[in-house]
Amino acid sequence: MADEIRRTTSGIELKPIYGYGDIPEGHRELLSTSPGEPPYLRGAYPKMYRTKPWRIFQLSGFGNPIDESERIKFLLSHGESGFLMEHDRMTADHLYDVDNPEVLARSGDVGLTGAVILSIRDFATILDGIDIENTYAHAGGAVVQHGPFANACYWNVAASRGIDLKRLAGTGQSDFNLTYLGCIAKEQIPPRDGLRLNLDLIEFCHRNLPRWVPVSIAAYNGADSGLNAKEELGLLMANAKEYLDGIVERGNIEVAQVARSIGGINLRTSMDIFEDIAKLRAARVMWSRMLKERYGVDDERARQLRIHVVTAGSAMTYQQPLNNIVRGTLMALAAVLGGAQSLGVSGYDEAITIPSEHAHQMSLRIQQILQNESNLTSVVDPLGGSYLIESLTGQLVEEGFGVFDEIVAQGGYIATLESGWLYRRAVAGSNEAAYDIETNRVAKVGVNCFMDDVSPYEIEAFEAPRDAFDNAMERLVDLRATRDQKVLRDALVGLEEACVSSSNIMPAMMAATEAEVSLGEIGAVFRSSFGSWEVPFDF
Amino acid sequence: MTFNQPPPYSPRVVMAKTSLDGHWRGITIVEHALREAGFEIVLLGMATRDEIMSAVIQEDPDLVGLNVGGRLDLVLSLVDEIAKLESPPPVIVGGIITPSAKRTLEALGVDAFPPGSKLTSIVEAAKRLTNFN
Repeated sequence: MADEIRRTTSGIELKPIYGYGDIPEGHRELLSTSPGEPPYLRGAYPKMYRTKPWRIFQLSGFGNPIDESERIKFLLSHGESGFLMEHDRMTADHLYDVDNPEVLARSGDVGLTGAVILSIRDFATILDGIDIENTYAHAGGAVVQHGPFANACYWNVAASRGIDLKRLAGTGQSDFNLTYLGCIAKEQIPPRDGLRLNLDLIEFCHRNLPRWVPVSIAAYNGADSGLNAKEELGLLMANAKEYLDGIVERGNIEVAQVARSIGGINLRTSMDIFEDIAKLRAARVMWSRMLKERYGVDDERARQLRIHVVTAGSAMTYQQPLNNIVRGTLMALAAVLGGAQSLGVSGYDEAITIPSEHAHQMSLRIQQILQNESNLTSVVDPLGGSYLIESLTGQLVEEGFGVFDEIVAQGGYIATLESGWLYRRAVAGSNEAAYDIETNRVAKVGVNCFMDDVSPYEIEAFEAPRDAFDNAMERLVDLRATRDQKVLRDALVGLEEACVSSSNIMPAMMAATEAEVSLGEIGAVFRSSFGSWEVPFDF
Repeated sequence: MTFNQPPPYSPRVVMAKTSLDGHWRGITIVEHALREAGFEIVLLGMATRDEIMSAVIQEDPDLVGLNVGGRLDLVLSLVDEIAKLESPPPVIVGGIITPSAKRTLEALGVDAFPPGSKLTSIVEAAKRLTNFN
């Protein structure tokens, strides 16, 4: 085979051999820093996995609330150390009740991608029998307009059990990259209003739930929409800057305190494992530097980035699906070598369906094998000082800040959404990645090489229960008939008033969810208060 | 991306997402490949069965491309409805298609392209079905 030029996915040239001279000069001085100290190149914590194993944290949910509850309990009983609630994409992303005409027109799809969760009652069903006081959770609300509802429902269930919210640990998401870039709902509130909701969540958590990550930036969603590692890093910082600047402008909270709470973010690892290991290390350095240099933050904890990694769903193939167990393992290894705090491994059936119970269990087992059968957890930052990894880390810090500067020069993250720039970058990257596989520039075993005419190991596609729609309709009818109408009306008026005023919407959202408001009723209030986002790009 | 010479005329393709899942990556890649190959694309985005049917009637396309992100029910009923038209355009389907759903579609004579399908094979099918070479 000809020894042609090799590159990482983001285009950095890979040399056959690396030496000290390949480490960018500005990066060399960081090599003597310790893990647990700024700029956290070598890890967020001094002893890393020796004292804090990464959290095994898998997305889970489908069908009826009871189905989601059972799957979460199954995962927890098999060693998962936190749980992520997945809500039905059709209803949750759009804030539609199940009898919305848009949903009725596709009723067969309801419950396929997450459990149908119409009100706080469904939250209570899912969480029944789960020790939420002592288990770290992601309450769902991946999409910005859904975040306030999902978090408020979760918190109210916790409060109803007598749990002190000041001690409740977990995370929301309300991710801009999913909402406005990767997975665009038919009706979605505009980004500037989305920013307002996220800032409201940040301030509300600061006062009432100091151990909760109010919003979590998932640059993963930029990456899985076609952006490369440099862009993923630039996007992460530019997104964080919107939140930090917004909080500074409001003037109610110290920026350092906000940085602490939103410093739990999500990145992607893919099959380009050296680049991705370097990317995680670069993200920590960039976070620490940005807070120090742009915001003058000295507080060490505020500058300590904690990273949740999800392995690339897009790397998983439909063809020869069991090969994905190997891919999942490699991508998980990259996350661990990069120093992730928590990890979700995509199911081996990712390209076909949401995970079957067996695929989910394999995602746990991959992590458990890595945690228990190897010495991976014994040494902090085992690749620290590797000429290759430090060279890539240094270059990604520089080039990631290059993308960040490019976004800031255009007016910031939201401005690049509004101008269509971010979409053009993602679509270009996505087309390029498809072209690379099409033309065999990038190998994909089973897809463009080593293919089978007939796969010897076709797997059964898991299918969520078909009764999710009918059951949700029944619950909705029952909900509407059995709520206290006066309490509900007052709560909805309160929410409307909060939306159109400048006050924080979260107290009103807490009251509304407690009054058993439905998802669609929240959607109606948001749509009338904020209108709907017109995506400025013709895909 | 270039797939052969551009044709002297542009066969028209109506493309739509049948589900309410807003991930655009898959359909956009296919749309791009078809445009590059000389097809004219009318992209409906997330559309209901009725919206897709009125677009098919109005646009009189040479081909209909459906993206499935959920169950097959809706696609099957659209295939059925489209077949009832006076001069029905052929239908191709892409997206999250389970192996058994693929067999169901192929038994109906509908080309189905799950994840990992070669773009050239999608373009070739589109050309064959629109009698364009």
